[in-house]
Amino acid sequence: MEHSFSLPNSGHNYDAKASKLGMWLFLYTEILLFGGLFMVYMVYRALNPDAFLIASFNLNVWMGTINTVVLLTSSMTVAMSITAIQKGNSKLSLILLAATVLAAVIFLVIKYFEWGAKIEHGFWPGMDHFINLPFGEQLYFYLYFFMTGLHGLHVVVGMIFILIVMKKIKNGSQNKDKNQLLENSGLYWHLVDLIWIYLFPLFYLIH
Amino acid sequence: MSDTKNNHTQDDSHHITGYAEHFGTYVSLIMLTFMTVFISVFGADLNTLTVATAMFIASVKVLIVAYYFMHLKYDPKVYRVMILLVMAMFVIFLIMLMFDYLTR
Repeated sequence: MEHSFSLPNSGHNYDAKASKLGMWLFLYTEILLFGGLFMVYMVYRALNPDAFLIASFNLNVWMGTINTVVLLTSSMTVAMSITAIQKGNSKLSLILLAATVLAAVIFLVIKYFEWGAKIEHGFWPGMDHFINLPFGEQLYFYLYFFMTGLHGLHVVVGMIFILIVMKKIKNGSQNKDKNQLLENSGLYWHLVDLIWIYLFPLFYLIH
Repeated sequence: MSDTKNNHTQDDSHHITGYAEHFGTYVSLIMLTFMTVFISVFGADLNTLTVATAMFIASVKVLIVAYYFMHLKYDPKVYRVMILLVMAMFVIFLIMLMFDYLTR
């Protein structure tokens, strides 16, 4: 181990371990952020089991399934892109990251059509149809829009994160020996996937 | 973290997961996804068990993603210990919340 001193922000203080640990600490706060929302969901669902069941029939299970597959695929491509860069194949790494971004776009487009259909039918909080729904079903749609919306926001952030990393791979500042930023963006992307793995059965698969 | 284990953790963090292993992980995740959809859509007679089954399958999927895609399996132990602490915190919050609602 070397023990050389360098000034902060001088660009010579790359510390992959510290960077990774910091990323994980951030991910823990994300887990607890969504954890709180899952608790709200649990309480309201326990109080209104039938209303949640009826409201869930308004969602399209197949769209949710396709989105799950899309996210899982993107998780694999981002994991493989880390393998590629560690083996020194920057080109393959870039292709796999581009595939990840493409999957993120597909996910968001499907989400757009899903939300669009709901809003068209007046399920957005405050719309005519929504106001006439029983209270339990209103709670379901509040939670549906808030939780999938917050998750969608994470997809957008993860996509931007990956695009920045792609730029850095292109100019060579992320490479075989120095790729913690790519690993961190991968970790973030997997977290987005993890949250969706729970959101999917909780909102789409109530039967 | 600890100086004595430094060499060991150093080796762990340089483990490169192969493409085939990632693909195998992916296939198992897709199979679990179709399993959970199938149980929910076609196996409605499971009734009260469906929520538990869906949550169980989701948790298995999450573990697979965390262990293989997120590399936890090959990371130093400290990451696994920390995530256990976070999970314990979540469970404590949950138990406190349940006590609140059950005793009203």
